[in-house]
Amino acid sequence: MGRLAERWKTVLDHPILRLEMRRICRKRWWPGRRFFMFYPALLGAALGYGVTLALSDSLGVQLMALVSGVPVGCLVSVVTWFLSFALPWIAPALTAATIARERELGTLDLLRATLLTERSIVLGKLGGCLARLWPGLLALALLSPFQVVWMAGSSLFAIPSSLNVLTMSTGFDALMMDTDFAKWQTWTLVLLLAILIVVAGLLKPWCDLALNAAIGLLVSTLASSSGVAIAASYGVILVVRVTLWLGTSILWPLLALLISTMQAMPEPEVMVVMPALMPLLIVLIESVGAAFLVWGAIWWLKRM
Amino acid sequence: MTAIIETRGLIKRYGRLTAVEELDLVVKSGAVFGFVGPNGAGKTTTMRILATLLRPTAGEAWVAGHSVLKERRDVRRAIGYMPDFFGVYGDMKVWEYLDFFAACYEIPPATRRRLVDDLLELVDLAHRREDYVDALSRGMKQRLCLGRALAHDPQVLILDEPASGLDPRARIEIRELLRELQAMGKTIFVSSHILSEIEEVCTHIGIIEAGRLVATGTLEEMRQRIQAQRVVRVGLTGRDLGELSRAVEEAQAWLTRRPEVVCVEPVTGNGEGDLQVTFAGDDEALARLLSELVGAGFSVTMFREESSDLEDVFMLLTKGIVS
Repeated sequence: MGRLAERWKTVLDHPILRLEMRRICRKRWWPGRRFFMFYPALLGAALGYGVTLALSDSLGVQLMALVSGVPVGCLVSVVTWFLSFALPWIAPALTAATIARERELGTLDLLRATLLTERSIVLGKLGGCLARLWPGLLALALLSPFQVVWMAGSSLFAIPSSLNVLTMSTGFDALMMDTDFAKWQTWTLVLLLAILIVVAGLLKPWCDLALNAAIGLLVSTLASSSGVAIAASYGVILVVRVTLWLGTSILWPLLALLISTMQAMPEPEVMVVMPALMPLLIVLIESVGAAFLVWGAIWWLKRM
Repeated sequence: MTAIIETRGLIKRYGRLTAVEELDLVVKSGAVFGFVGPNGAGKTTTMRILATLLRPTAGEAWVAGHSVLKERRDVRRAIGYMPDFFGVYGDMKVWEYLDFFAACYEIPPATRRRLVDDLLELVDLAHRREDYVDALSRGMKQRLCLGRALAHDPQVLILDEPASGLDPRARIEIRELLRELQAMGKTIFVSSHILSEIEEVCTHIGIIEAGRLVATGTLEEMRQRIQAQRVVRVGLTGRDLGELSRAVEEAQAWLTRRPEVVCVEPVTGNGEGDLQVTFAGDDEALARLLSELVGAGFSVTMFREESSDLEDVFMLLTKGIVS
């Protein structure tokens, strides 16, 4: 515990992070104390809503509560959707400008000549950029409980129906067999898929944000001016996004084709699990990619 | 005095361009070493290598006994670096700027406040403590940057053109500050493309051109070089322009044959008809040259030794080499 506190103190005393924080506080565009009053209230409401639904013993009641579209739920969904879209696209504008701007100003050499390691400079700058987005990030984090409830509900609802469609279309009725084992197996699968979908859904905006921010950061260490860095970053992000989208839209049909050529009758579990795993795969690619790009930025700065 | 900066066979190439070529340099501890050369000579590249900001293509360099390639962190701890083109965070207050860099040098928060006050006192900016950096004049920003380089009390200061672009008053202030730092026992490695700018504060001089060190030594040794080669202006006269130009040509040929004369060049532009003679000899030999010149029948109207300073050595040593 003591070591953890010490570590946290070191993070808070990080010079670049402190510099960025000071700038944020000085800009006066942050809403200040109102956030601290508004968000705990929202968090309480969201958690209360989630707990009420979770405690309700009937799935039907839960689904009804969700489907009836409580107006607050709708609003939260819209806000969450907006934040999930906006934050990942704002972040690279900040990260792309960060190191390139230091170079433009002539302050990068001053930083590199100090005892700050390249890793510390890059991570400090990244932290500073994310700190600028803190109202949005906090809102997204606080809306997550709503997201969990909504996604859990919809996936619990969606998966059994897809299993149904599958069993009917294939004529494969093992899942519908009235045995305890089959029921147990089916529901374990359904629960597992629901968890995977919820986890992937929850992580998606954060991973989008991480990947886009990391692309901006890497381009920033390579570019000579912040203008060039921002333009190039958005270009690269667009290419990466299109590639990811194409990759995942082609990957699943290809896999399905492969499976059907290998087996005359694919296992229904495979047919259900595979598409559900796609979002998780994207999230995984994005997070690994982001970590790799940040490492690349550090490496490039060291190599200079 | 032991060597605190040393380079051996240092080479830096950018593609086909060679910025630094086989540079062997030694700076003794406690010295104020003036690193002089024309623009593009390789001064900044050398300094950036010493500050661990650039990796050499070949060769090795040590600062305070630490290799700039293998012990970068130790080197950074030992040096305070001020680049020629440096930016400041204009949106920070003067004290915040120093506090930030003190934190970058891992100085604990408890001692930072006192340190910042001391540094502001040293660079004479205590009265501007609460001002934004953007509000400072260029000279003040230069002093602030020097204060920043001193935050961790380094043994060596690497200052790249600290006086460039400053007005005379600010230049004098920087010079005084360098003297003060020398008195504090710091080794100062300072560059300039104008020798007279740093001549007064330097104990040692190194002249670089096209990436090569063409001369190095103490100020005294460099002055002796001047004594070894003095420049004399010889004025001649004739009845008309034709006779004058003939006389100049003949005198040039006559002087070139003299063993003590290194080179003779006709003066162009203002003072046309005069000759500039580079002479290697003492006063007696110079007097003999004058009497023999007159004895050879030349109508000498002027025979004057040009005042020579380190700038002439610089001009002499760097003449004709283009980077």
